[in-house]
Amino acid sequence: MAQITEKTRGEVKEVVLDFFAEECEIELNEISEDSKIIGDLDGDSLMFLELIEIFKKKFNLNIELKTIGKYAVKNPVQTIGELIDMQLLIIEHENNILDM
Amino acid sequence: MSQKTAFVFPAFISEFTKKELDFLSENNIDFNNYLQRVSVALEIDLPEFSYVSNNYNNELKSQLLAYLFSCAFYDILEKKGIEPQFVAGYSMGIYASLYASKSISLEEGAKFIYTAYTIVSKLTETKKFGMGAIIGLPIKDIKYLIEENAPDTEIINVNNEHSIVIAGKKKDINLVLERAKEEGAMSSIELTVNTPYHSKYLLKYSESFQKYISTIQICDAEIPIISTYDQREIVKVSEIKSELLFNLTSKINWYKTMQKLLTKDVSNIYECGAGKDLKKISRFIKGDYKMNSIYKI
Repeated sequence: MAQITEKTRGEVKEVVLDFFAEECEIELNEISEDSKIIGDLDGDSLMFLELIEIFKKKFNLNIELKTIGKYAVKNPVQTIGELIDMQLLIIEHENNILDM
Repeated sequence: MSQKTAFVFPAFISEFTKKELDFLSENNIDFNNYLQRVSVALEIDLPEFSYVSNNYNNELKSQLLAYLFSCAFYDILEKKGIEPQFVAGYSMGIYASLYASKSISLEEGAKFIYTAYTIVSKLTETKKFGMGAIIGLPIKDIKYLIEENAPDTEIINVNNEHSIVIAGKKKDINLVLERAKEEGAMSSIELTVNTPYHSKYLLKYSESFQKYISTIQICDAEIPIISTYDQREIVKVSEIKSELLFNLTSKINWYKTMQKLLTKDVSNIYECGAGKDLKKISRFIKGDYKMNSIYKI
Protein backbone atom coordinates (compact mmCIF):
# COMPACT_ATOMS: atom_id res chain seq x y z
CA MET A 1 0.00 0.00 0.00
CA ALA A 2 1.53 3.27 -1.12
CA GLN A 3 1.87 6.22 1.22
CA ILE A 4 0.13 9.30 -0.07
CA THR A 5 2.03 12.48 0.72
CA GLU A 6 1.37 16.11 -0.10
CA LYS A 7 3.93 15.69 -2.88
CA THR A 8 1.93 12.81 -4.36
CA ARG A 9 -1.24 14.84 -4.24
CA GLY A 10 0.50 17.72 -5.95
CA GLU A 11 1.81 15.46 -8.70
CA VAL A 12 -1.57 13.84 -9.27
CA LYS A 13 -3.30 17.22 -9.34
CA GLU A 14 -0.83 18.55 -11.88
CA VAL A 15 -1.27 15.53 -14.17
CA VAL A 16 -5.07 15.69 -13.95
CA LEU A 17 -5.26 19.43 -14.65
CA ASP A 18 -2.75 19.26 -17.54
CA PHE A 19 -4.64 16.31 -19.00
CA PHE A 20 -8.02 18.06 -18.95
CA ALA A 21 -6.58 21.32 -20.27
CA GLU A 22 -5.08 19.51 -23.25
CA GLU A 23 -8.01 17.20 -23.92
CA CYS A 24 -10.64 19.91 -23.57
CA GLU A 25 -8.55 22.49 -25.42
CA ILE A 26 -8.86 25.06 -22.65
CA GLU A 27 -6.42 27.11 -20.59
CA LEU A 28 -5.09 25.58 -17.39
CA ASN A 29 -6.37 28.51 -15.33
CA GLU A 30 -9.91 27.75 -16.49
CA ILE A 31 -9.89 24.47 -14.53
CA SER A 32 -10.15 24.17 -10.77
CA GLU A 33 -10.89 21.40 -8.30
CA ASP A 34 -14.50 22.58 -8.36
CA SER A 35 -14.88 22.19 -12.13
CA LYS A 36 -17.58 19.70 -13.03
CA ILE A 37 -16.13 16.95 -15.21
CA ILE A 38 -19.16 16.48 -17.42
CA GLY A 39 -21.00 19.78 -17.10
CA ASP A 40 -18.02 22.15 -17.37
CA LEU A 41 -15.39 20.11 -19.20
CA ASP A 42 -17.32 17.69 -21.41
CA GLY A 43 -15.37 14.82 -19.84
CA ASP A 44 -16.25 11.18 -20.35
CA SER A 45 -15.43 7.70 -19.16
CA LEU A 46 -12.72 7.21 -21.79
CA MET A 47 -10.88 10.18 -20.33
CA PHE A 48 -11.17 8.61 -16.90
CA LEU A 49 -9.76 5.37 -18.30
CA GLU A 50 -6.88 7.18 -19.94
CA LEU A 51 -6.01 8.89 -16.68
CA ILE A 52 -5.97 5.55 -14.91
CA GLU A 53 -3.57 4.22 -17.55
CA ILE A 54 -1.35 7.28 -17.08
CA PHE A 55 -1.17 6.76 -13.30
CA LYS A 56 -0.76 3.00 -13.74
CA LYS A 57 2.44 3.65 -15.67
CA LYS A 58 3.63 6.59 -13.57
CA PHE A 59 3.27 4.78 -10.25
CA ASN A 60 3.75 1.23 -11.55
CA LEU A 61 0.36 0.19 -10.17
CA ASN A 62 -1.04 -3.33 -10.00
CA ILE A 63 -4.62 -2.61 -11.02
CA GLU A 64 -7.28 -4.17 -13.16
CA LEU A 65 -9.60 -1.82 -14.96
CA LYS A 66 -12.57 -3.99 -14.05
CA THR A 67 -11.83 -3.56 -10.36
CA ILE A 68 -11.54 0.19 -10.71
CA GLY A 69 -14.74 0.16 -12.78
CA LYS A 70 -16.65 -1.59 -10.01
CA TYR A 71 -15.39 0.96 -7.51
CA ALA A 72 -16.14 3.90 -9.81
CA VAL A 73 -19.70 2.78 -10.47
CA LYS A 74 -20.36 2.62 -6.71
CA ASN A 75 -18.50 5.85 -6.00
CA PRO A 76 -19.08 8.18 -8.93
CA VAL A 77 -17.15 11.43 -9.05
CA GLN A 78 -18.43 14.73 -10.35
CA THR A 79 -15.68 17.28 -9.88
CA ILE A 80 -11.99 17.45 -10.69
CA GLY A 81 -11.23 17.52 -6.95
CA GLU A 82 -13.20 14.30 -6.41
CA LEU A 83 -11.43 12.73 -9.38
CA ILE A 84 -8.03 13.62 -7.91
CA ASP A 85 -9.08 12.06 -4.59
CA MET A 86 -10.21 8.90 -6.38
CA GLN A 87 -6.94 8.63 -8.28
CA LEU A 88 -5.09 8.96 -4.97
CA LEU A 89 -7.18 6.15 -3.51
CA ILE A 90 -6.36 4.00 -6.52
CA ILE A 91 -2.65 4.73 -6.10
CA GLU A 92 -2.89 3.96 -2.40
CA HIS A 93 -4.96 0.78 -2.54
CA GLU A 94 -4.50 -0.51 -6.11
CA ASN A 95 -6.61 -3.65 -6.61
CA ASN A 96 -7.64 -3.68 -2.94
CA ILE A 97 -9.70 -0.56 -3.42
CA LEU A 98 -12.91 -2.57 -3.28
CA ASP A 99 -12.05 -3.75 0.26
CA MET A 100 -12.12 -0.21 1.61
CA MET B 1 8.14 8.24 -45.36
CA SER B 2 5.68 10.85 -46.61
CA GLN B 3 3.12 12.13 -44.17
CA LYS B 4 -0.44 11.64 -45.28
CA THR B 5 -3.76 13.12 -44.33
CA ALA B 6 -7.12 11.47 -43.81
CA PHE B 7 -10.57 12.88 -43.22
CA VAL B 8 -12.90 10.87 -41.01
CA PHE B 9 -16.64 11.41 -40.86
CA PRO B 10 -18.85 10.78 -37.83
CA ALA B 11 -22.30 9.20 -38.00
CA PHE B 12 -23.92 11.03 -35.16
CA ILE B 13 -23.45 14.00 -32.87
CA SER B 14 -23.60 13.07 -29.21
CA GLU B 15 -22.80 16.62 -28.17
CA PHE B 16 -22.13 19.82 -30.09
CA THR B 17 -18.97 21.76 -29.33
CA LYS B 18 -21.20 24.80 -29.99
CA LYS B 19 -18.43 26.18 -32.16
CA GLU B 20 -19.96 24.63 -35.28
CA LEU B 21 -22.29 27.38 -36.48
CA ASP B 22 -19.78 30.17 -35.83
CA PHE B 23 -17.10 28.18 -37.64
CA LEU B 24 -19.36 27.71 -40.66
CA SER B 25 -20.35 31.35 -40.85
CA GLU B 26 -16.75 32.54 -40.36
CA ASN B 27 -15.94 30.46 -43.41
CA ASN B 28 -18.83 31.88 -45.42
CA ILE B 29 -20.82 28.67 -45.41
CA ASP B 30 -24.58 29.13 -45.33
CA PHE B 31 -25.66 26.01 -43.49
CA ASN B 32 -29.31 26.78 -44.12
CA ASN B 33 -28.60 26.36 -47.78
CA TYR B 34 -27.48 22.76 -47.15
CA LEU B 35 -30.65 22.12 -45.15
CA GLN B 36 -32.83 23.64 -47.87
CA ARG B 37 -31.22 21.67 -50.68
CA VAL B 38 -31.88 18.43 -48.84
CA SER B 39 -35.38 19.52 -47.80
CA VAL B 40 -36.22 19.97 -51.45
CA ALA B 41 -34.55 16.74 -52.56
CA LEU B 42 -36.29 14.64 -49.93
CA GLU B 43 -39.51 16.67 -49.77
CA ILE B 44 -39.30 16.86 -46.01
CA ASP B 45 -39.07 19.82 -43.68
CA LEU B 46 -35.57 20.51 -42.38
CA PRO B 47 -35.96 23.75 -40.44
CA GLU B 48 -33.19 26.13 -39.47
CA PHE B 49 -30.89 24.52 -36.92
CA SER B 50 -30.09 25.92 -33.50
CA TYR B 51 -28.38 24.24 -30.56
CA VAL B 52 -31.43 24.63 -28.34
CA SER B 53 -34.22 23.53 -30.67
CA ASN B 54 -35.69 20.03 -30.66
CA ASN B 55 -36.18 19.96 -34.40
CA TYR B 56 -33.53 17.35 -35.01
CA ASN B 57 -34.20 14.92 -32.20
CA ASN B 58 -35.60 12.08 -34.26
CA GLU B 59 -33.34 9.36 -35.61
CA LEU B 60 -33.66 10.26 -39.30
CA LYS B 61 -33.28 14.00 -38.91
CA SER B 62 -30.37 13.66 -36.53
CA GLN B 63 -28.58 11.46 -39.09
CA LEU B 64 -29.28 13.97 -41.85
CA LEU B 65 -28.02 16.79 -39.67
CA ALA B 66 -24.79 14.94 -38.85
CA TYR B 67 -24.34 14.23 -42.57
CA LEU B 68 -24.88 17.85 -43.59
CA PHE B 69 -22.51 19.22 -40.98
CA SER B 70 -19.90 16.75 -42.22
CA CYS B 71 -20.39 17.82 -45.83
CA ALA B 72 -20.24 21.51 -44.91
CA PHE B 73 -17.06 20.99 -42.89
CA TYR B 74 -15.54 19.06 -45.75
CA ASP B 75 -16.34 21.93 -48.11
CA ILE B 76 -14.41 24.28 -45.85
CA LEU B 77 -11.37 22.01 -45.76
CA GLU B 78 -11.50 21.70 -49.53
CA LYS B 79 -11.74 25.48 -49.95
CA LYS B 80 -8.71 25.86 -47.72
CA GLY B 81 -6.78 23.47 -49.91
CA ILE B 82 -6.39 20.68 -47.36
CA GLU B 83 -6.43 17.48 -49.37
CA PRO B 84 -6.78 14.04 -47.87
CA GLN B 85 -5.15 10.95 -49.29
CA PHE B 86 -7.81 8.77 -47.66
CA VAL B 87 -11.29 9.13 -46.21
CA ALA B 88 -13.30 6.90 -43.89
CA GLY B 89 -16.82 7.18 -42.55
CA TYR B 90 -17.88 5.88 -39.17
CA SER B 91 -21.08 3.90 -39.76
CA MET B 92 -23.52 6.25 -41.49
CA GLY B 93 -20.57 8.60 -41.91
CA ILE B 94 -19.90 6.60 -45.07
CA TYR B 95 -22.26 8.88 -47.00
CA ALA B 96 -20.27 12.00 -46.15
CA SER B 97 -17.07 10.16 -47.08
CA LEU B 98 -18.63 9.39 -50.47
CA TYR B 99 -19.56 13.06 -50.85
CA ALA B 100 -15.97 14.07 -50.07
CA SER B 101 -14.58 11.56 -52.55
CA LYS B 102 -16.93 12.97 -55.22
CA SER B 103 -18.75 9.67 -55.69
CA ILE B 104 -22.17 11.11 -54.89
CA SER B 105 -23.74 14.54 -54.61
CA LEU B 106 -24.95 16.17 -51.41
CA GLU B 107 -28.54 15.32 -52.31
CA GLU B 108 -27.78 11.71 -53.21
CA GLY B 109 -26.05 11.15 -49.87
CA ALA B 110 -29.13 12.46 -48.09
CA LYS B 111 -31.33 10.22 -50.22
CA PHE B 112 -29.26 7.21 -49.21
CA ILE B 113 -29.72 8.05 -45.54
CA TYR B 114 -33.43 8.64 -46.04
CA THR B 115 -33.91 5.43 -48.01
CA ALA B 116 -31.88 3.26 -45.64
CA TYR B 117 -33.91 4.66 -42.78
CA THR B 118 -37.22 4.15 -44.60
CA ILE B 119 -36.37 0.57 -45.60
CA VAL B 120 -35.57 -0.46 -42.03
CA SER B 121 -38.30 1.67 -40.48
CA LYS B 122 -40.59 -1.30 -39.88
CA LEU B 123 -38.00 -2.56 -37.48
CA THR B 124 -37.26 0.88 -36.04
CA GLU B 125 -40.91 1.68 -35.38
CA THR B 126 -41.42 -1.39 -33.20
CA LYS B 127 -39.08 0.38 -30.73
CA LYS B 128 -38.00 -3.08 -29.66
CA PHE B 129 -34.48 -2.77 -30.99
CA GLY B 130 -31.51 -0.66 -30.08
CA MET B 131 -27.83 -0.34 -29.49
CA GLY B 132 -25.53 0.13 -26.53
CA ALA B 133 -21.95 1.13 -25.78
CA ILE B 134 -19.73 -0.53 -23.19
CA ILE B 135 -16.55 1.14 -22.02
CA GLY B 136 -13.81 -0.45 -19.95
CA LEU B 137 -14.41 -4.19 -20.30
CA PRO B 138 -12.26 -6.48 -22.47
CA ILE B 139 -14.03 -7.78 -25.56
CA LYS B 140 -13.72 -11.38 -24.35
CA ASP B 141 -15.67 -10.49 -21.21
CA ILE B 142 -18.39 -8.83 -23.28
CA LYS B 143 -18.61 -11.84 -25.55
CA TYR B 144 -19.03 -14.01 -22.48
CA LEU B 145 -21.73 -11.75 -21.03
CA ILE B 146 -23.62 -11.88 -24.32
CA GLU B 147 -23.33 -15.65 -24.58
CA GLU B 148 -24.56 -16.13 -21.02
CA ASN B 149 -27.32 -13.54 -20.98
CA ALA B 150 -28.54 -12.60 -24.43
CA PRO B 151 -26.99 -14.66 -27.23
CA ASP B 152 -28.95 -12.87 -29.95
CA THR B 153 -27.12 -9.65 -29.16
CA GLU B 154 -24.13 -8.85 -31.33
CA ILE B 155 -20.94 -6.86 -30.99
CA ILE B 156 -21.32 -4.74 -34.09
CA ASN B 157 -18.38 -2.39 -33.74
CA VAL B 158 -15.10 -2.06 -31.90
CA ASN B 159 -14.35 1.63 -31.42
CA ASN B 160 -11.01 1.18 -29.70
CA GLU B 161 -9.30 -1.03 -27.13
CA HIS B 162 -11.81 -0.11 -24.47
CA SER B 163 -15.03 0.79 -26.25
CA ILE B 164 -17.42 -1.70 -27.81
CA VAL B 165 -20.83 -1.19 -29.45
CA ILE B 166 -23.57 -3.81 -29.29
CA ALA B 167 -26.89 -4.11 -31.12
CA GLY B 168 -29.98 -6.24 -30.84
CA LYS B 169 -33.29 -6.33 -29.03
CA LYS B 170 -33.69 -3.55 -26.50
CA LYS B 171 -34.45 -5.88 -23.60
CA ASP B 172 -31.33 -7.93 -24.40
CA ILE B 173 -29.21 -4.81 -24.79
CA ASN B 174 -30.32 -3.52 -21.42
CA LEU B 175 -29.61 -6.85 -19.79
CA VAL B 176 -26.09 -6.99 -21.22
CA LEU B 177 -25.47 -3.35 -20.25
CA GLU B 178 -26.59 -4.05 -16.70
CA ARG B 179 -24.38 -7.14 -16.41
CA ALA B 180 -21.47 -5.20 -17.91
CA LYS B 181 -21.80 -2.60 -15.19
CA GLU B 182 -21.81 -5.31 -12.53
CA GLU B 183 -18.67 -6.80 -14.10
CA GLY B 184 -16.80 -3.52 -13.79
CA ALA B 185 -17.46 -1.62 -17.02
CA MET B 186 -16.57 2.02 -16.51
CA SER B 187 -19.68 2.95 -18.44
CA SER B 188 -22.46 1.05 -20.18
CA ILE B 189 -25.13 3.09 -21.84
CA GLU B 190 -28.01 2.58 -24.21
CA LEU B 191 -27.66 4.63 -27.39
CA THR B 192 -30.55 6.81 -28.48
CA VAL B 193 -31.45 4.78 -31.55
CA ASN B 194 -34.21 2.30 -32.25
CA THR B 195 -32.42 0.60 -35.13
CA PRO B 196 -29.90 -2.20 -34.53
CA TYR B 197 -27.51 -0.94 -37.23
CA HIS B 198 -24.88 -3.36 -38.56
CA SER B 199 -26.60 -6.35 -36.96
CA LYS B 200 -28.12 -9.52 -38.38
CA TYR B 201 -31.57 -8.01 -37.89
CA LEU B 202 -30.96 -5.79 -40.90
CA LEU B 203 -29.96 -8.61 -43.23
CA LYS B 204 -33.55 -9.11 -44.37
CA TYR B 205 -33.50 -5.60 -45.83
CA SER B 206 -30.41 -6.28 -47.96
CA GLU B 207 -32.33 -6.96 -51.13
CA SER B 208 -34.44 -3.80 -50.95
CA PHE B 209 -31.42 -1.65 -50.20
CA GLN B 210 -29.39 -3.30 -52.94
CA LYS B 211 -32.18 -2.56 -55.43
CA TYR B 212 -32.11 1.08 -54.39
CA ILE B 213 -28.31 1.26 -54.64
CA SER B 214 -28.50 -0.04 -58.21
CA THR B 215 -30.70 2.89 -59.21
CA ILE B 216 -28.28 5.61 -58.04
CA GLN B 217 -25.62 7.25 -60.14
CA ILE B 218 -22.36 6.66 -58.30
CA CYS B 219 -18.91 7.66 -59.57
CA ASP B 220 -15.50 6.17 -58.81
CA ALA B 221 -13.99 7.69 -55.68
CA GLU B 222 -11.46 10.44 -56.32
CA ILE B 223 -10.07 9.79 -52.85
CA PRO B 224 -9.74 6.17 -51.69
CA ILE B 225 -12.22 5.22 -48.99
CA ILE B 226 -11.17 2.80 -46.27
CA SER B 227 -13.87 0.21 -45.65
CA THR B 228 -15.07 -0.06 -42.08
CA TYR B 229 -16.33 -3.54 -42.95
CA ASP B 230 -13.03 -5.16 -43.97
CA GLN B 231 -10.59 -2.22 -44.20
CA ARG B 232 -9.92 -2.56 -47.92
CA GLU B 233 -9.29 0.50 -50.07
CA ILE B 234 -12.31 1.36 -52.16
CA VAL B 235 -12.30 3.33 -55.38
CA LYS B 236 -14.43 1.57 -58.00
CA VAL B 237 -18.19 1.97 -58.25
CA SER B 238 -18.81 -1.76 -57.86
CA GLU B 239 -16.79 -1.77 -54.61
CA ILE B 240 -18.62 1.30 -53.35
CA LYS B 241 -21.95 -0.40 -53.99
CA SER B 242 -20.87 -3.50 -52.08
CA GLU B 243 -19.58 -1.36 -49.23
CA LEU B 244 -22.86 0.53 -48.97
CA LEU B 245 -24.66 -2.73 -48.42
CA PHE B 246 -22.09 -4.10 -45.96
CA ASN B 247 -22.16 -0.83 -44.08
CA LEU B 248 -25.85 -1.15 -43.34
CA THR B 249 -26.17 -4.85 -42.70
CA SER B 250 -22.80 -6.10 -41.44
CA LYS B 251 -20.51 -5.55 -38.50
CA ILE B 252 -17.98 -2.79 -38.80
CA ASN B 253 -14.68 -2.19 -37.01
CA TRP B 254 -13.60 1.40 -36.50
CA TYR B 255 -10.50 0.42 -34.51
CA LYS B 256 -9.15 -1.63 -37.42
CA THR B 257 -10.12 1.12 -39.86
CA MET B 258 -8.05 3.66 -37.96
CA GLN B 259 -5.18 1.18 -37.72
CA LYS B 260 -5.36 0.68 -41.48
CA LEU B 261 -5.05 4.45 -41.98
CA LEU B 262 -1.96 4.42 -39.81
CA THR B 263 -0.39 1.60 -41.80
CA LYS B 264 -0.89 3.79 -44.88
CA ASP B 265 1.37 6.42 -43.25
CA VAL B 266 -1.50 8.71 -42.29
CA SER B 267 -0.33 11.02 -39.53
CA ASN B 268 -2.80 13.88 -39.83
CA ILE B 269 -6.45 13.13 -39.26
CA TYR B 270 -9.28 15.66 -39.40
CA GLU B 271 -12.67 14.87 -37.92
CA CYS B 272 -15.04 16.29 -40.50
CA GLY B 273 -18.20 16.85 -38.57
CA ALA B 274 -20.00 18.41 -35.65
CA GLY B 275 -19.07 17.40 -32.12
CA LYS B 276 -15.87 15.52 -31.40
CA ASP B 277 -17.00 11.94 -31.03
CA LEU B 278 -14.32 10.46 -33.25
CA LYS B 279 -11.62 12.39 -31.44
CA LYS B 280 -12.88 10.95 -28.17
CA ILE B 281 -12.92 7.43 -29.59
CA SER B 282 -9.37 7.86 -30.91
CA ARG B 283 -8.04 8.10 -27.37
CA PHE B 284 -7.28 4.41 -27.16
CA ILE B 285 -6.11 3.99 -30.72
CA LYS B 286 -2.36 4.12 -30.38
CA GLY B 287 -0.12 5.38 -33.13
CA ASP B 288 1.97 8.22 -34.41
CA TYR B 289 -0.81 10.53 -35.57
CA LYS B 290 -2.62 13.68 -34.63
CA MET B 291 -6.37 14.22 -34.53
CA ASN B 292 -6.42 17.82 -35.71
CA SER B 293 -8.99 20.25 -34.48
CA ILE B 294 -10.90 21.52 -37.47
CA TYR B 295 -11.46 24.81 -35.64
CA LYS B 296 -7.75 25.59 -35.65
CA ILE B 297 -7.14 25.36 -39.39
